[in-house]
Amino acid sequence: MAEGLFAGLRVIDCASFIAAPAAATIFSDFGADVIKIEPPGEGDLYRTLHVRPGSPKTSRDYAWILDNRNKRGLALDLKSERGHEVLCRLVEKADVFITNMPFPVRRKLKTGYNDLKDVNPRLIYASFTAYGEAGPEAEKTGFDSTAYWARSGLMDMVRPDAEATPARSSPGMGDHPSAVALFSAIMTALWRRERTGRGGQVSSSLVANGLWSNSYLVQARLIGAEFPPRPKRTHVLNPLSNSYRCKDGRWFILSMVNEARQYAPFMAAIGLSHLTEKYAAQADRQKNSPELIEIYDKVFSEKTLEEWRKILDSAGITFGIVNTLDDLVDDEQARHAGAIVPFADGSGLTISSPFNVDGETKRQPATAPSIGQHSDEILREHGYDDADIRKLRDTKAVG
Amino acid sequence: MTEQLFAGLKVIDCASFIAAPAAATVLSDFGADVIKIEPPGEGDAYRTLHAVPGTPKSNVDYAWLHGARNKRSIALNLKTPQGLEVLHRLVAKADVFVTNLPLPVRRRMMISYEDLSSRNAQLIYASFTAYGEKGVEADKTGFDSTAYWARSGLMDQVRPDSMSPPARSVAGMGDHPCSIALYAAIVTGLYRRQLTGKGGLVSSSLLANGLWSNAFLVQARLTGATIPPRPPRSQSLSATTNMYRTRDNRWFNLAMVNDVKQYPLLVATLGRPELAADPRFATADARRANVPALMAEFDDLFARFDLADLRTTLDAAGITFGFVGTIDEALDDQQMRDAGAIVPLADGSFETISSPFHVEGAPKTPPRQAPGVGEHSDDVLREYGYSAEEISRMRAAKAVA
Repeated sequence: MAEGLFAGLRVIDCASFIAAPAAATIFSDFGADVIKIEPPGEGDLYRTLHVRPGSPKTSRDYAWILDNRNKRGLALDLKSERGHEVLCRLVEKADVFITNMPFPVRRKLKTGYNDLKDVNPRLIYASFTAYGEAGPEAEKTGFDSTAYWARSGLMDMVRPDAEATPARSSPGMGDHPSAVALFSAIMTALWRRERTGRGGQVSSSLVANGLWSNSYLVQARLIGAEFPPRPKRTHVLNPLSNSYRCKDGRWFILSMVNEARQYAPFMAAIGLSHLTEKYAAQADRQKNSPELIEIYDKVFSEKTLEEWRKILDSAGITFGIVNTLDDLVDDEQARHAGAIVPFADGSGLTISSPFNVDGETKRQPATAPSIGQHSDEILREHGYDDADIRKLRDTKAVG
Repeated sequence: MTEQLFAGLKVIDCASFIAAPAAATVLSDFGADVIKIEPPGEGDAYRTLHAVPGTPKSNVDYAWLHGARNKRSIALNLKTPQGLEVLHRLVAKADVFVTNLPLPVRRRMMISYEDLSSRNAQLIYASFTAYGEKGVEADKTGFDSTAYWARSGLMDQVRPDSMSPPARSVAGMGDHPCSIALYAAIVTGLYRRQLTGKGGLVSSSLLANGLWSNAFLVQARLTGATIPPRPPRSQSLSATTNMYRTRDNRWFNLAMVNDVKQYPLLVATLGRPELAADPRFATADARRANVPALMAEFDDLFARFDLADLRTTLDAAGITFGFVGTIDEALDDQQMRDAGAIVPLADGSFETISSPFHVEGAPKTPPRQAPGVGEHSDDVLREYGYSAEEISRMRAAKAVA
């Protein structure tokens, strides 16, 4: 394996769940040495998420292997004095420290930026929060379902129509983009450190990333734009830019950008040539949208997605399939694009970090550690001898 | 003010719409000099999106205001030899080149990585595509509604229940996270250049980012898990992580992942402390076994509060929840401002949305207005050594506008 861009870079993942730890995962993808610190015993609570009712069932802990691949595990009780000493020794040698602990916990555990920056002035301290570093809600906890999806207005806007019950987010769908933002912040500071020799603190939050995702509409609102009502799909303004359901229950989105060229071939392809003339002008289609959508609904419900896919493809019509997760299992393009990659041990596939640097081979993903799997190894690397390690284990500072 | 982090860094934004240009926007936030290249005349087609029927109406081009802040615009016809020559001169001095032109177009226009890296070995060439750089779909175009939202399984999953129609994405909701991934790739490239002196190609795509966003469920599926259908709200599997409606008809999202600790606090704060010891709900297992009964209690309790009062009450008790914010609420959300997520434009005209991270000691540029098509053409050309005659010749040849 190539050494990787970040070979020798030491990252401490002192965080839990998804957004902050996944920033460390990206570092590991490019070869950094990532130490995952977990409380002895239960470890990161994220380990239990996949067994909650309603989560997909499997014997593999898919969530853990995704977001903690390549890392080494150290089980450390940060509430104990000795545990804190171990942390400080790790921080002395570290390049990056990542945490998403709530501020009150950081104060209690002495793991705030001000506690650690004196230990190592070259340290990049990466702070992740739900609602930002300042303001009345800075100390609140949150998940991406709340602080990213709901708070940003996305949850309110992304529904079939304004009357529909809002949809819950899919697990981690806001955390993973937020992880990329935290990684970005750290990289920016590492770049600065290469030029100035100084470390520093960087930060990102769920609320900032949710707003960034929804920034098109938020910006519209901030400048006082008037928002049109959101019609049901049966009443959208443009029937040629709408979602339709096939005989087998599968949905696709028709997104005809070049209507002038595609409308007539489209009508012919779906067997509605006799109506082409009637709705020939864009204005006709807009005016009679509900009627035309009803016609299309009926037509599309008569064949399966696979049948329609062939028909629309050969007519050169722009459309997109509402993919199910099953479709992704053998999505060739996702593999060619390097978005889905195999684990090094051949145990299956995982999702790569969403960008590439030419000439840098990402590490072949190794499986995620169990709680404290590498405790002894890491302690020895940091100068603890066998007697020290025994003592740490006896006092339960390390597990 | 101290010199900004990216002061002096020269970035060419040779891209359109949202994801790729917004990566350059983030660089501009930290002080980079970003030159936006647009075709003369209509400019970036993104300029017209806000006028499409069904989008929010305003005299201000809000999308452009946000996506092109801080940039200078040069209107350059890359199909003319003179226009291409100008691009080459810009590239010779540039640090970063950002593009999302389809790969066949790059080949045709001779602005692929191979074409440009030979002119500037230190250049970071940032390539953004819909479906990645390789494979049968690499040359295809796509938008975030298709390549990010629909392709990744997000659109199929994120609906009220499995039987309801899927929801269209809102404009740019996938593009903006993608822009951060492209920015991440660029800064990683800059970091490597700092270590090795060499530039290089970095890339990201809508497809990869959609999958990354939905990675939890995609990973589940890849490891052979079956994905349970999304039950309608009435058949929820948890009462403590669920949607509820308030008296004023607002939805909020109770997210008590740690319900062992928070459940007794919640019922106490809602004035029903006896529910903590109720055998139907006293333990996590019991709550799981009696979801409909607990939901009925919560439905009744929450319907007694208006959202504003409920927020105060739940915040005070330390309960994890989020209300379904409307866009209107962004107008006076103090926390978004305190957190630096919403910031004023430098000229005081409006507020805008900041890039979603901060670097201590590296202040962001107070956001400036986005440029008109070719607003800075002459400025930029003069900076790159073109004389007044040369500029007028290029204008006459329609290479520049």
